[in-house]
Amino acid sequence: MDILRMKQMFRPKTLQTLLYHGVLIFCAFLIVFPFLWMLTSAFKTQSEIFHDIKFFPRAFHLDSFREVLSIIPFDKYFINTVKFVFGLLFVQFFTITFAAYAFARFRFPLKDLLFTLLLLQLMIAPQTLVVPNYIIIKNLKLLDTVTAISLPYVASAMGVFLLRQAFRSIPAEMEEAAVMDGASIEYYLFKIAIPLVKPSYTAFALVSINFHWNEFFWPLIVTDTVKSRVLTVGLAMFAESSESAAAWNDLMAATLLVAAPLVLLFLVFQKAFVESFMTTGLKA
Amino acid sequence: MRKRSKNRLRIFLYLLPTFFFLFFFTYFPYLSSFIDSFAERRGNLISFVGLKNYERMAFDSVFHTVLWNNFLYSILTVPLTMLFALGLALLLNRKIAGSAFYRTAFFYPTVIPMAAASMIWLYLFLPTYGIINRFITLWGGKSVEWVGDPQYAMISIVIVGIWKYVGYYMMIFLTALQAIPKSLLESAYLDGAGPVRRFGSIVLPMISSTSFFILIIAVINSFQAVDQVYLMTRGGPGNATNLMVYYIYQNAFSFWNFQYASTLTVFLVTLLLLITLFFFKVVEPRVYYESGET
Repeated sequence: MDILRMKQMFRPKTLQTLLYHGVLIFCAFLIVFPFLWMLTSAFKTQSEIFHDIKFFPRAFHLDSFREVLSIIPFDKYFINTVKFVFGLLFVQFFTITFAAYAFARFRFPLKDLLFTLLLLQLMIAPQTLVVPNYIIIKNLKLLDTVTAISLPYVASAMGVFLLRQAFRSIPAEMEEAAVMDGASIEYYLFKIAIPLVKPSYTAFALVSINFHWNEFFWPLIVTDTVKSRVLTVGLAMFAESSESAAAWNDLMAATLLVAAPLVLLFLVFQKAFVESFMTTGLKA
Repeated sequence: MRKRSKNRLRIFLYLLPTFFFLFFFTYFPYLSSFIDSFAERRGNLISFVGLKNYERMAFDSVFHTVLWNNFLYSILTVPLTMLFALGLALLLNRKIAGSAFYRTAFFYPTVIPMAAASMIWLYLFLPTYGIINRFITLWGGKSVEWVGDPQYAMISIVIVGIWKYVGYYMMIFLTALQAIPKSLLESAYLDGAGPVRRFGSIVLPMISSTSFFILIIAVINSFQAVDQVYLMTRGGPGNATNLMVYYIYQNAFSFWNFQYASTLTVFLVTLLLLITLFFFKVVEPRVYYESGET
């Protein structure tokens, strides 16, 4: 490095930038390290876990993955999770679209009260109502089904709120013109309005997928067997089982398998993900 | 305006699916818990016992501990997460090389399931062999039984809570910071306002509606935290990390007392509604909104 560059480096402005990066890298390290440590540990052997503190494994063993996949019915959990998450998203598409359109475009009695009642749902998470909802699901004879997991999430206050805003941004004249031309409101809604607010739907979809893929406590309560368990619950079952006792490499491999699908999705569609979360708030 | 009579049926049908599910899986459960809270089960008989469950709750020392724990969990996670989030957002709110990398690095825990996060941290917190304890002993400290020690167990689940949400809140703060008009800050600068003054008089008021939004979400979430309790500590050791939802779960599914669990559910939901009411009636009027925002 020549003298000129060195001088530049130690100008106050540059020093400040360096300090910024120092702090940021330190924080990034704290937040990223747990994931990386899990990642590399999944490829270690049992003895490396307990006797080495090297970051990288001596060789990238796949034994723990083989072990985990032979014990956990991962494919079944994966299919259940996909059924739950995407089946729910499909149903939510209709429930939120109609409710949002009604709140955006129609006038009716008790509108404000109904909207407030809807928004209150944002404050009460499904895990809080596990006891009464478990009884309801039991009475419906739906225990241990993917449907049971989905039911409390079908009505989505967040989705209705988000789409109501979106529909309100479309000029009312467009709808009037379409209806004047003899189109039904439903035709207008599905052919014109929904395509116009596609970004809002994408945002909702990504947040809904993320939220439900990660959901744990309610699925844990209503599922009993491999038939309906989702990935997060499967992970917990594995962690509790004797097979995983002290086998932290296996447990980290299982954790990686559960977290990987969304992390990959996130890394590929990063921008869309972040923007979705910004427009929607926390819940789906 | 639209012909109303023609649309009445349409509006009803449009709202029906959402309100049907909202009623049966949000409002009805609350009501049915309320009814169950006045009952008791003896063998196969369920009988009305008046306020007995509430009386029990009032004198249940475990419940008091749980309530205190949850309060502690909120007091520890909410301000710390928000402060770190705002700090990181301020650091990233400038032209800086690698800002996309930093954003990804801070935000990614949002997409990690809490169940997976709990496993990862359990592994990091492992007594003796965990990487955190290895570092502590390397620097001459004494190995800590993170989740096994009543003194540290709460801190452990708090750390996981902060780690999971700090990036998400950071991103919301960052969006709010970037919406502040540059001209406002520039003119303040030209008028001789220093960084502290600019932060206090411009930045803070301009992000106060965002802060309010994050605050209410964070508080509400902290009173419903359960995943990491179930997976990392099972409420222990000796109820040191037992939080509201976990205690409800224990009463229903370990002690099989659904009526008492219902009573606790009524308490928690009512508490959440009161917190919400408090925020919107007492805190929100003090929040500064830019004109145009509603």
